[in-house]
Amino acid sequence: MSATSGDSAAVSVQVAVSPEDAFDVFTREIDLWWRHGRKFRIAGKRPGQLTFECALGGRLFETVDFPSGPKTFVTGTVIAWDPPKHLALEWRGVNFKDHEKTLVEVSFTPLGEGTMVRVEHSGWSTLPDAHPARHGLTGAEFSRMIGMWWSDLARSLREHVATRA
Amino acid sequence: MVDLLREGPRRPGDLAEALDASAPAMSRHLRVLKKSGLVREELGQEDARVRMYSLQREPFDALEAWVEDVQSFWTMELAAFKAHAEKTRGRKKKK
Repeated sequence: MSATSGDSAAVSVQVAVSPEDAFDVFTREIDLWWRHGRKFRIAGKRPGQLTFECALGGRLFETVDFPSGPKTFVTGTVIAWDPPKHLALEWRGVNFKDHEKTLVEVSFTPLGEGTMVRVEHSGWSTLPDAHPARHGLTGAEFSRMIGMWWSDLARSLREHVATRA
Repeated sequence: MVDLLREGPRRPGDLAEALDASAPAMSRHLRVLKKSGLVREELGQEDARVRMYSLQREPFDALEAWVEDVQSFWTMELAAFKAHAEKTRGRKKKK
């Protein structure tokens, strides 16, 4: 399921609630904590709602209340569902076309009296060369190569980024 | 190899020696990387007969930029998630 190795970003957070609660909040209550604004929601400052369909094959979608009426945008599709431990989504950013997608994996691991929640987002190399997320980089060969020869570089890059975060 | 090239341009012979690879294997490898736009070949400054290889920065800069974007996005989202989860479900002493 993992895309090519190397082109992923991972972020973890320790939360003082049980894995069951963390999983439930992360999914069912996503609209209550997901940040607002253009960087995070298609709606931007308009009213709208995020809905997480809690099942394998379920969708993560955003409903935006336009003056002309509500419109729905699907951001993700659930491709792994194992509460309260793990879930995975095929993920489409705001500016993605239908066939363009990346992978988001979320794990919930008991840690002390709380939970470690880890998000890993990968799949940059699967995006077309002209995609805005690629910052204008072209070179399809790079996509193919990165998983084969250069995962070591990407690993060190990622570690490098992590140390600066 | 990447670490070596990050320090600066290298001759194929030096790379082969440092990485304990045969010269033909190293030149095959470099050819593939050059074709893929990951390294570039240039003539040595001191001796134009010597070929030097160095990293093409652009692909790595673009990847790094993406990773940084995604990391900053999820760092902000997970902070919001933590705040909400602990406020509404935190039964233990909050930190």
